[in-house]
Amino acid sequence: MNLGTRKLLDRAFTALGLGSIAVMAMMLLVVLVPIVSKGFSAIVFKSTVEHRKMVFNEFHRGNRSALEKEIAASDAARRNVYDMLSRFESELMLMNEDKQQEYTEKYDQVKSALRGLLGPLPGDSEPALTRLTYGQNRWEKAEEKLQELLYEKKWDYSNPDVVAKEYFVSRSAGFEGTSLARLFPYVEKNIDRMLLPEWTFYWGFITDSSVDSHIFGGIWPEIQGTLFLAIGAMLFAFPLGVIAAIYFTEYAREGFFNSLLRSANSTLAGVPSIVFGLFGLAFFINTLKVSESKSVLAGSLTLAIMILPTIIRAAEEAILAVPKTYREASLGLGSTKWNTIVTVILPAALPGILTGGVISLGRAAGETAPIIFTAAVSVGSAIGLADVFTSPTPALSWNIYNLASEHEAAAEIRHVQYGMVLSLISIVLLLNLSAVILRARISKKLKG
Amino acid sequence: MSSEDTARQVRSSAFVVSARKRKLQKISKMAGESTLLLIASFVAVVVLFIFFFVARDAVPFFQIRGFSEFFTSTNWYPADDPPGFGSLAIIYGSLMVTVGSALIAIPMGITAAICLSDVLPFSVRQYVKPIIEMLAAIPSVAFGFFALVILAPLLQNFGGPILMWTWWLIVSPFLLLAIIVVSELLTANIASEKKRKILHATSLGVFGLIALALLFFVGRKLQGIEILTGTNALNVSIILSFMALPTIVSVSEDALQAVGRELREGSYALGATRAETIVKTILPAASSGILAAVILGIMRSLGETMVVWMASGNSSHIPDPWFNYLESVRTLTATIAGDMGEADQVTGSARFHVLFAMGLLLLVISFVSNFISERIIVRQRKVLSGQ
Amino acid sequence: MQSSPEVVETSQNASKSVREIYLPPERKKVSGGGVPHVSAKNFSVYYGEFEAVKKVNADILSKYVTAIIGPSGCGKSTFLRAINRMNDLIPNSHTTGSLMFDGEDVHGKFTDEVLLRKKIGMVFQKPNPFPKSIFDNIAYGPRLHGIKDKKTLEGIVEKSLRKAALWDEVCDRLDKNALGMSGGQQQRLCFARTLAVEPEILLLDEPTSALDPKATAKIEDLIQELRGSYTIMIVTHNMQQASRVSDFTMFFYEGVLVEHAPTAQLFTKPKDSMTEDYITGRFS
Repeated sequence: MNLGTRKLLDRAFTALGLGSIAVMAMMLLVVLVPIVSKGFSAIVFKSTVEHRKMVFNEFHRGNRSALEKEIAASDAARRNVYDMLSRFESELMLMNEDKQQEYTEKYDQVKSALRGLLGPLPGDSEPALTRLTYGQNRWEKAEEKLQELLYEKKWDYSNPDVVAKEYFVSRSAGFEGTSLARLFPYVEKNIDRMLLPEWTFYWGFITDSSVDSHIFGGIWPEIQGTLFLAIGAMLFAFPLGVIAAIYFTEYAREGFFNSLLRSANSTLAGVPSIVFGLFGLAFFINTLKVSESKSVLAGSLTLAIMILPTIIRAAEEAILAVPKTYREASLGLGSTKWNTIVTVILPAALPGILTGGVISLGRAAGETAPIIFTAAVSVGSAIGLADVFTSPTPALSWNIYNLASEHEAAAEIRHVQYGMVLSLISIVLLLNLSAVILRARISKKLKG
Repeated sequence: MSSEDTARQVRSSAFVVSARKRKLQKISKMAGESTLLLIASFVAVVVLFIFFFVARDAVPFFQIRGFSEFFTSTNWYPADDPPGFGSLAIIYGSLMVTVGSALIAIPMGITAAICLSDVLPFSVRQYVKPIIEMLAAIPSVAFGFFALVILAPLLQNFGGPILMWTWWLIVSPFLLLAIIVVSELLTANIASEKKRKILHATSLGVFGLIALALLFFVGRKLQGIEILTGTNALNVSIILSFMALPTIVSVSEDALQAVGRELREGSYALGATRAETIVKTILPAASSGILAAVILGIMRSLGETMVVWMASGNSSHIPDPWFNYLESVRTLTATIAGDMGEADQVTGSARFHVLFAMGLLLLVISFVSNFISERIIVRQRKVLSGQ
Repeated sequence: MQSSPEVVETSQNASKSVREIYLPPERKKVSGGGVPHVSAKNFSVYYGEFEAVKKVNADILSKYVTAIIGPSGCGKSTFLRAINRMNDLIPNSHTTGSLMFDGEDVHGKFTDEVLLRKKIGMVFQKPNPFPKSIFDNIAYGPRLHGIKDKKTLEGIVEKSLRKAALWDEVCDRLDKNALGMSGGQQQRLCFARTLAVEPEILLLDEPTSALDPKATAKIEDLIQELRGSYTIMIVTHNMQQASRVSDFTMFFYEGVLVEHAPTAQLFTKPKDSMTEDYITGRFS
């Protein structure tokens, strides 16, 4: 090969590596950007008067008189709609049977679309579910619902060779010639007067508990559950891990038993997370019976076992990085080995140990599989500190799965799911970031 | 006795202690060390316990149903009467997404690791490392959510064009390189300069046309593909590969760094380019460490639960044809996670125990691969340190 | 090779009377010194099978400064470390023969190495203050040995810093991190830290090899200050330093103590040809 080709191959090789890294960076962006941008929309969004009503009724926040004024204004705009409905109903009575049947079906669709948009109509009985007592809380959802009111979605099956295509038919055309035909342009034109959209910073998303399984409200129970589980796991794993690391670095002598222990450590690090869940179920709950059924305690113990190898490795590395001279100096002053470890080596290794600990904390917070069978429930309120030994808890990671895959209205509450994912990622990444800062600050302090 | 002698007696007793005290000291030291040892062996005890307790609940399944159905049948109807516990399709599903993710992650991971260790200057590396660390830190459920809510609809709606563009982007540069190299090699031995140039140009042209035809033909084919469901093996493989990448990159990078500078300098001094140095000298020296990295990365894909549970479609059948990554699959981990909810009210049934059998299978696979990768790393360390 | 006996005028009955010591006129005799403080008899140190120090016989005289010189790897550091049993830190090391300190065997069965190290302090090659405040660094030893009272500790810290000639430089920043000081100051801090536990012997393992000439001079002055109060043993690479600071010099070669004599004598009229070759720079 001539030199030119060799150089070309060399460049191509470099490009390949850079490309791989670029793809990884892009993937990170592709994952994070939608999650961050849509996640924030759970907190900052254009809320409707229905949202403010909901917050006032369910969480008792807001200014009563201002809200009443708003409700009065929106009711004034809505009255026309309701009048049109009642006028059409009386018109319907006078029609012949065929026409009546034809219109009733369409009319019911219109009514249910209106309920979805504005909440219960006058004359409706008190709805059983909270989600039906309020109209659309979020403006962008209201706009979607408005389209559903204005246009009916139909499927085109005419060509059997391709997948059916959807198309839209204007509903007002269906009511041509009746008094209801005027309703559609009126709603379209006055929708913002009926719902009064307004930019809101809904901090309650973080601190409120959920209403009617996450249709409204916030995610505090999940955040709290995640924190309980992760901190609980840390309480068990951190001391154990640091002591084990001290043994491995300061006391262990080369030999069969020691290498066995090290193999056990790396085996533990490689166990699939779902198997930890199985083990937690079989051991902590079914055998030890640390609690009747799922509990925060059982989940924390399971997570603790999972993060133990990480903590041990980080602590080992940190201890090994302490200069040998510190040991010599301390022993030379007549300190015992244990004393040297406690007063000199551990303080010097502290940044590394803490960094490993904080990163493990993040890992424990983010894991799902180990807590499925041991600690997590889909719906629940925030539990008290005293209940951690007996009660299961909702947790961010599990509820993200649950809301996205198993919730009956999964597509309706994407903003909640995004908000949860953003919260979880923020917790994990903030922990990682604080680990980095912590390491920098402490080692700066140690260096003087 | 002079006063000086007495003084010395007093002083010397300062560091020589009685036999009893010395013994006590020894005993307390032993006791302390054994306590530490006990705590350190907790890890080993946990590993034993995990094996024991998972196996304890897995054994009843094999007692009730035997081995052959589990490994050979694809009839997974655990809720039917009579139930079917054939897990072949599920094992195959796990295998499929693992292989799929490995196919993406291994080349990317190794090239990225090489880039980090040998190509990028230190100042740039500082900014690249956090990218990898962040990828590793993102919780699996977040990846699963991304796969389900963003990637799956994309694949479902724009599957054909996405496949085509990916094909073009990935394959065309490689084809171009291949054409240049092949033409060069074909004409290298022709003595006459003029003849050689003409032949070289023709060969470039011919191969170029063939390559273009291939690109277009396959691209058109791919564009025509309609992906029926976005929650399929391809989706999961892509996501899993990005979850395995940080492991592969960081362990491979360590292996590459462990190859000393002397080796690199030796190769450069003989006039090798960087690529030649890496491929011919460094990669062979670091190969076992990279192999270990690959095994660890693959294990991450195999053991991952949330992504496959959310985005693989969870249908327990072997795709048709067997390599069709555009169909839904079901994996071991997802089955354990998904079926336990239905099974654990009826603790003691085969339906409960079959999940532990799957867990045991995963555990054994992870144990074996961990063992192998650890051996490999130890051996490489020995080789490199010249023992 | 047989180790040569020490070259001190009256070697017998050493413990009964202060010896006649050959000192150059500028070095004063130390009152109450000159008693064998550490004495090695056929003393060897092994690392596994390797005999790093070979059957050394020597008396180290109290309150004087003894320098240990020799090419690298000659066992001089090993010998020094064996005196306060720092060689215990190296796995598979063991000793034969006897090494007596104040008439008791340092490597004996009933020796508590923690108490021993309190009596025999050590300063290392590189300044190694702990990443703590200056005060805590010096109070580390006294605290270990049970002194809790703040006033007492303050007293000890001041006294030790004064002895190490560091007090004036750091008295207003005792709570600052010790790692913020210069290398020379750090090393003097290490001296102060060692002095704070009131040892009888100071072992100095190349204490100036990591320092610049100015800092080295200060450390040498310090050693002169401490001479007479402590038995000092200093391992050094630097023969000028040995001749400047020490009263006696031991020359080690390949684990063997080749010559042990008053410094002035060893550097001017070495008895052994090997010593002569070494100090004249024919090998190093």
